[in-house]
Amino acid sequence: MNSLFTPLSWDDTGYILTGVWNTITISVVAIVVGTLLGMIVGFARAESNKAVNVLFGSVLDILRSVPLIIQLILFSTFVGAIGHPMNPFLAGSIVLSLYTMAFMSEVFRGGFESVSKSMQTAARSLGMTYWQTVYHIRFPIGLRAVLPSWMGVALSVIKDSALVSVIGYMELLRTSEQLISRTQQPLEILIGVGIFYFIISYPLSHYGRYLERKMAI
Amino acid sequence: MEYEFHWNIVLQKMPELLNGAFVTLHVSVLAMLLGVVIAVLLAIAKMNNSKPFCYVATVWVEIARNTPALFQIYMAYFGLGAFGIHLSPYVAVLSALVFINAGYLTETFRGGFQSIPSTQYSASKSLGMTSIQTYRYVILPQMLRRIYHPMTNQFVWSILMSSLGILVGMSELSGTTQRLQSLSFRTLEFFIVAAVMYFIITKLVLFGASLLSRRLFKGEI
Amino acid sequence: MMKKLTAIILACVAFTSMNATADQLDDVIKRGTLNCGVVLDFPPMGYLDENNEPAGFDVDYCKDLAEALGVDANILNLTWGDRIPSLVAGKTDVVIGSTSDTLERAKSVGFTYPYFVFKFQVISNKDKNIESFADLKNLKVGAALGTTYETEYLAYAEQQGWGKDNYTSFKSENDAFLGLYQGKVDAIISTNTNIATKLQSDEFSDFEAGPYVPNYDDVVGIIAKRSEVAWINYLNLFLIRQIRDGNMNEAYNKYFGSDAPADLIKSLRDNK
Repeated sequence: MNSLFTPLSWDDTGYILTGVWNTITISVVAIVVGTLLGMIVGFARAESNKAVNVLFGSVLDILRSVPLIIQLILFSTFVGAIGHPMNPFLAGSIVLSLYTMAFMSEVFRGGFESVSKSMQTAARSLGMTYWQTVYHIRFPIGLRAVLPSWMGVALSVIKDSALVSVIGYMELLRTSEQLISRTQQPLEILIGVGIFYFIISYPLSHYGRYLERKMAI
Repeated sequence: MEYEFHWNIVLQKMPELLNGAFVTLHVSVLAMLLGVVIAVLLAIAKMNNSKPFCYVATVWVEIARNTPALFQIYMAYFGLGAFGIHLSPYVAVLSALVFINAGYLTETFRGGFQSIPSTQYSASKSLGMTSIQTYRYVILPQMLRRIYHPMTNQFVWSILMSSLGILVGMSELSGTTQRLQSLSFRTLEFFIVAAVMYFIITKLVLFGASLLSRRLFKGEI
Repeated sequence: MMKKLTAIILACVAFTSMNATADQLDDVIKRGTLNCGVVLDFPPMGYLDENNEPAGFDVDYCKDLAEALGVDANILNLTWGDRIPSLVAGKTDVVIGSTSDTLERAKSVGFTYPYFVFKFQVISNKDKNIESFADLKNLKVGAALGTTYETEYLAYAEQQGWGKDNYTSFKSENDAFLGLYQGKVDAIISTNTNIATKLQSDEFSDFEAGPYVPNYDDVVGIIAKRSEVAWINYLNLFLIRQIRDGNMNEAYNKYFGSDAPADLIKSLRDNK
């Protein structure tokens, strides 16, 4: 007979590190892709007329009003049902990136709109083209203003990436869950997981608040 | 597309889904109310000079803000279980949500409070107002205006995060959906309906909040 | 010339249409790997061994099936809820995951003949002295969410007028045992095999197996896409040969420590 419960041992380090690595990978992918898409969508929304905005807005609204866990299950089942199955990493990355994009686009829109109209008019009157104004004035000023909020969204994405476990992606929480089943030692393992997230998130959130204070002055 | 949708089973189970939706709303409203009360206390503690209170409040806020909600819920359920403290799935999810709501709202409240310049206190005093009158007529109305929007967001967030109840076997909307899909294997149908229900719930809440804000602030926010 | 061209075109059409009828059985053989879903949350049918590798009765069946097909086995670790989505999504070719064969579910996926029969049983702390199912009345009872035994218990509780207040769902079988171990619930309902395995470990030395759920056998099959009839045919023959060739008994011995009981074999044969 094979033994069923075995206590946590140093041999499990590799297994846990795989989980840590996977959590980091999917978070980075979602933040990078979500930021780029969010920047484009945010800019488009700041620039476009009301009708386009309403259309854009309602799609983004769905992403923000349905729990991530449901989006993940639905998307991963749906792509399979139409004959394009995806592995958990790919499906998870797509959903998490779009979810991030929905929040990032609001952040960036706010940033771009915060650049005052008179500054743009001044730039144009100096003979800059539209795209020069965008490149030299609106992007640098708008992006700088959004840094603290960007940090906030990025941090919540790292934490939300734990949910990708429900579609079978072996990130940190799912590996630890399986270790808990094997060892029946939930407390030690859960505390370890908590510390990991805290170590990543705490310094970043403080840096974000520091930036916020610095910019407010 | 080779998937055939079967909607009649979903219609049959509609009462159970609606019941789940009610539990979702229930737990998030409660989590919000308790979260606000605790956040007020924590915000006062944080602005207070007495060290121990301030310390507790800081630890609470930092843990709540820097660890995933999923972790908090597991911790409340199986983590506390290791100490022999057994919360039901409902209470475990509720306490995790209260814990997080309180953590985030503390900072919101503190920020709202500190955003009001101290000159207003002396101004009110010079007008002959008592300190209760100062808070009631000068400080709180301004504060409420500043924290109203973040509070609405936090409420919507709690509704969405209560869906994690699925992971500790709670019978809210997601848990009920999971049970029903597992009995019939109609995953897409049930989760599509759940998604629509969440969307409607959050929209209703936002709509209600904007109606309320129009009454409270007479449109200027 | 024209005739030749027509012949070539016809041959092409025939070839492509032949290709289009390739079914899952062909796909698996051509691909050279069998994507076999298991639930590693249900010892001894599926679990992680001390090297964190998949092990268990279901995992051995996957390997046997791959060997019969002459392909490699790719074992996919699923949650209970993943089983159907993974099939629908084409991530798995089969799921060998102790799936109870209800008529409701058979509207959505295709079932093979049964490959195992479980009994539902109560496990509780020894001091609870549970003699019959009726003794559960004032105890806190748990089970895994969306399982047939959860449904059976809830139906029984409703029939007895107990209500749902004493009942707790768990996300998975492992969570249910962890909940029992921690004392969240007084008793849980699970399968006889899982309970027997758990009772052999030190962690569960204070617990004992209680009564069976009245009048219920849990008959489970392998599942595959409902439309893949030829594939399911192959799987059915595979299951018959597992018994006939002694692989079933071998796997049973490995994970349960004894020969497969005659009544289990008989009920597998009867049920098909």
